[in-house]
Amino acid sequence: MALFPITSNFEGDFVLQLVAVDSECTMDEVAAAAAVHSVGRRVRARPGQIMRVRRQGSEDFLPRSMRVSESGLKPTETVEIIWEAPKH
Amino acid sequence: MAVLNRMDWYDLARTTNWTPTYVTEDELFPPLMSGAFGLPQDAWEKYDEPYKQTYPEYVKVQRDKDAGAYSVKAALERSRIFENADPGWKSVMKAHYGAIARGEYAAASAEARMMRFSKAPGMRNMSTLGCLDEIRHGQMQLYFPHEHVSKDRQMDWAFKAYDTNEWGMIAARHFFDDIMMTRDAISVSIMLTFSFETGFTNMQFLGLAADAAEAGDHTFANLISSIQTDESRHAQIGGPALKVLIENGQKAEAQKRVDIAVWGAWKLFSVLTGPIMDYYTPLEHRKQSFKEFMEEWIVAQFERALTDMGLDLPWYWDIFLKDLSETHHGMHMGSYFWRPTVWWNPAAGVTPDERAWLEEKYPGWNDTWGQCWDVIIDNVVDGNMAMAYPETLPYVCNMCQLPILGTPGKGWNVKDYPLEYNGRLYHFGSEVDRWCFEQEPERYAGHLSIVDRFLAGMIQPMDLGGALNYMNLAPGECGDDAHNYAWAEVYRALRAEKKAS
Repeated sequence: MALFPITSNFEGDFVLQLVAVDSECTMDEVAAAAAVHSVGRRVRARPGQIMRVRRQGSEDFLPRSMRVSESGLKPTETVEIIWEAPKH
Repeated sequence: MAVLNRMDWYDLARTTNWTPTYVTEDELFPPLMSGAFGLPQDAWEKYDEPYKQTYPEYVKVQRDKDAGAYSVKAALERSRIFENADPGWKSVMKAHYGAIARGEYAAASAEARMMRFSKAPGMRNMSTLGCLDEIRHGQMQLYFPHEHVSKDRQMDWAFKAYDTNEWGMIAARHFFDDIMMTRDAISVSIMLTFSFETGFTNMQFLGLAADAAEAGDHTFANLISSIQTDESRHAQIGGPALKVLIENGQKAEAQKRVDIAVWGAWKLFSVLTGPIMDYYTPLEHRKQSFKEFMEEWIVAQFERALTDMGLDLPWYWDIFLKDLSETHHGMHMGSYFWRPTVWWNPAAGVTPDERAWLEEKYPGWNDTWGQCWDVIIDNVVDGNMAMAYPETLPYVCNMCQLPILGTPGKGWNVKDYPLEYNGRLYHFGSEVDRWCFEQEPERYAGHLSIVDRFLAGMIQPMDLGGALNYMNLAPGECGDDAHNYAWAEVYRALRAEKKAS
């Protein structure tokens, strides 16, 4: 359990932002923490879609239940928060 | 008694180099300060300034010019221009004075370094006059806003800004410290006078003078036009130095300095001048868009100045040309959304008419920045003000110290440009910012950005109040919407109209 700063690059927003999470947060929790500073402020919510986390430059999302401490992310590393439509 | 014409004696009178016998040349001109690039004194004696002026001529001309600017001010002091000006225009003045006045005064020390340490006698003469210019510009741009301090506390930032840790001032200081306070005489001539002044001060001074005259603020228009004529003279100090360097096989080093300074100047102008021209200046007073002005003054004219000199266009020119349509929109949105952290009141500039103008000047604006503004506007119209302010810091670039941003909405292209150096993870706003850092990492590596300071626990408590306190923004000085959100009324009316139909 430790505070862990990440840099949020939220899909559709215009700026990178500092977001404080906990090292034991899951990627879904990271996405939710990042959304606080973008969704409803400068980015419209997308009902029915979920938010996924990936490293900048990667096509693959990190598993939703993966914890920050398991992800290999470095403090202040930039993650992209990407909207994902539900799979039918 | 007949007086000789200036050109009959000028060249001889400014031939002031001599061969030192009591000390070595390096003791007289320490390379760290002189930046002679390994060239001996006689190479620098070929330096030939295109604009020649003597001290008596300088005093006569400047006395007349200053008298003109001061008398316009005196004549208009009772005109209540400040009281009656559009709030957006007042913000232009506040941003300008705070960012510029003390920087001009600091530039006097950079000019003084050329005056004492340059091996080129002509440069020493021209920068003597340049130093006097910068002292006068500092004084005038503190004296002119002073009459408004009693009316508006934010005007006090004309003097105060430079000493604070306000984020924009950290960015401005980082840039000016880099190009003029910590460089040798020759590098100052290239980076400050050639790159920054020739390239960019036209933007701030000519563009703003036109907008000021349109807005009816003749005091400000007169002041900054007067300053610009001095800048045009002392901006020519760097050109002949570049010529000497290129003739002596030092083009690569000269080019590198130009490339670093031009990029830093561009980033600073994207946050200072871009929002002013495209958002704060009332629509009916806008002469040109920021992009059009940049294309005329920087792309057309500065490009020619570079190639005439025998230099190449900076390697990043294509990136720069693309950014002319993008970066300042993000800088505006950032300084508006984080408005409590600036010393002026940003004008939103996004009424339907203004948006139509933005869409015309920047096709696609509504699908990109407009998408974020739609959310901000809805919150303001709904009175949901908590969501119209930030609750965290934007991540800032470790080179330009400005927010790392890009195009939002349908054109989303925001990207970090990271670099690990000596175990520390640095973040940059562009490939070019990162390149600038990599040219001399040790020069920049120890600097802490506002975000680094926050993470290091230097800002306490770690909330907005702590941040404002750290930035020296007292109550009554923090920025808020220039028009107190009056512009939202038009959107309320549109909604009501839509509902009724």
